[in-house]
Amino acid sequence: MSVPLTDVLVVSVALFSLGLCGALLRRNAITIFLSIELMLNAANLAIVGFGERVGGYAGQTVVFFAIVVAAAEAAVGLAIFVAVFRHHETIDVNKTNLLKW
Amino acid sequence: MTAADWAIVVLRPLVPVLGAAMAVPVLTWAERRGAGMIQDRPGPNRVGFFGWRAFGLGQPLADALKFFFKEDITPDNADAFLYTLAPWIVMFSALVGFAVIPYGPSIPIAGRSVPLVGADVPIGALFIFAMAGLSVYGIVLAGWSSNNKYSLMGGFRSAAQVISYELAMTTAAAGVFLSSSSLRLTRVVEAQQGSLLRWNVVPQFFGFLVFTIAAFAETNRVPFDLAEADAELVGGYHTEYSAFKFGAFFMAEYIAMTVGSAFIVTMYFGGWSLPFFHPRGLVGGLVSVAVFAAKTAFFLGVFIWVRWTLPRFRYDQLMRLGWKVLLPLAFANLLWAALLVRTGVL
Amino acid sequence: MNAARLIFDLAGAIAVVFAGVMVVHRNPIKSLLAIVVTFFALAVGFVLLSAPFLAAIQVIVYAGAILVLFLFVTMLLNLQTEEETADRRPFQRFFALVGIVAFAGMLLAAVRRSGEAAGSSGLPPATGAIEPLAQALFSRAALPFEAVSVLLLASLTGAYILMRRERSGSAAP
Repeated sequence: MSVPLTDVLVVSVALFSLGLCGALLRRNAITIFLSIELMLNAANLAIVGFGERVGGYAGQTVVFFAIVVAAAEAAVGLAIFVAVFRHHETIDVNKTNLLKW
Repeated sequence: MTAADWAIVVLRPLVPVLGAAMAVPVLTWAERRGAGMIQDRPGPNRVGFFGWRAFGLGQPLADALKFFFKEDITPDNADAFLYTLAPWIVMFSALVGFAVIPYGPSIPIAGRSVPLVGADVPIGALFIFAMAGLSVYGIVLAGWSSNNKYSLMGGFRSAAQVISYELAMTTAAAGVFLSSSSLRLTRVVEAQQGSLLRWNVVPQFFGFLVFTIAAFAETNRVPFDLAEADAELVGGYHTEYSAFKFGAFFMAEYIAMTVGSAFIVTMYFGGWSLPFFHPRGLVGGLVSVAVFAAKTAFFLGVFIWVRWTLPRFRYDQLMRLGWKVLLPLAFANLLWAALLVRTGVL
Repeated sequence: MNAARLIFDLAGAIAVVFAGVMVVHRNPIKSLLAIVVTFFALAVGFVLLSAPFLAAIQVIVYAGAILVLFLFVTMLLNLQTEEETADRRPFQRFFALVGIVAFAGMLLAAVRRSGEAAGSSGLPPATGAIEPLAQALFSRAALPFEAVSVLLLASLTGAYILMRRERSGSAAP
């Protein structure tokens, strides 16, 4: 009674591709960040799937740390967004091109 | 899986849920009569059945009918989908906590031993914490989708409150997990069997205090009901809600209260067990369930008692209490519990 | 087709559908709610892959804390529905889509061909128990555990400093 690895990986690939779409095609910085988080989760799912297949607890340990690091990154990333927004009044990434010539 | 198996699987979590659903009307009555008792007035005592006043026991029925028949308003610029969804998120997160609370020992039914718990998952208490965290969404969405300043402020304040006290609650609970060496709630109850001194409230009294105060904050009950503060925020996050949706919020609060009480009883007061009573068979199981219900009812009474006794906290006082007082106290309790376990006392 | 696989497929389908909603929807709040559902479905997936602790952590930390932070920031910035402007860059979008589809196709082909080839490490299979995971976390992974707590402290401090308003000098509540 267990889940075949192929199913897990297909879901993971689908989620990763959707996340990639969102990260590349959207202009709203929050949505881009959400898409990146989606990609992270897709990777987490794949790691847990492989971990279950292979045995032991290494997969779960890695994903535990991945989730915690994602939390730290989200906090700092959102703080940066807020700081940028205060400066620019917009969060459209096509408009925040300060460093361009 | 035979039909009996399916019936058991379905009924196991349903029993406490139905118990809670039936307890809500009684709770509303008890709340208002309790309020009356504390404030030296009778409380509702007119609504009865067929001319018999019945101590106002018909009041909850009258309230429910009122909720059904009031006009259901959706504000003009409100986001209709989120506005309708929000109360049900809060209701769901409150109800589903009953799935993992053990309300009795294993009883023999139809030839098999059935543990009286919805699902004895290895993560036990973490499940309840996870679902409690979901209620934040319901509250914030209610506040935001109402398109009303006061609702938004109430929603944000409540969300900040829930998140802050969640930390203190889980850290206090960590002390209990340490002493029972497991996250499973059935194990937590087992570890407290035997004598009154093994109930976790005795060695981890301060953890119990932190946990209970945090439970008050998590369920938005006075003195932490700033989010719905009548005098300050009109109605807080449920200002714009009327009729059935308001009834849903109302019910969800009482159900959350019941889950909170049941959780406190399970973690600190031995759950369904009594010190020198070893339940045997079906009768023993039913007695244990009654014991559990009685303990939960006692804590519900404490919730009601505190509500009508203490004034409301100001927002900054609330935040200060959660972060600067309860969290360090919870950590100290964790260290203390670790010390007790290491030296073999627990 | 056993029950675990069926439920996983269902949860996976829900996750993918709502991830699609997240990517496509114009309103950032609705996107966020869609991704909450996705994370929930992923938590269900974790339970089915014998990782109930991770499922709880996923809901408590990811869906219950990180996404709430996202929600707060979105509401704080009062982000409106993303508008269509003249700067649509159709060529970039088209090629990006083609690239992503090709990438996904490549990954799927790899998965299909070698999905079942993962060997076993010889370690006993993971049950739903938490004690072995805790043992691993506090013995073999003790250093990353402590390091991650320092990382969280650093990110907390960084977020605080970034959010401080320079003019008044007092932090936002």
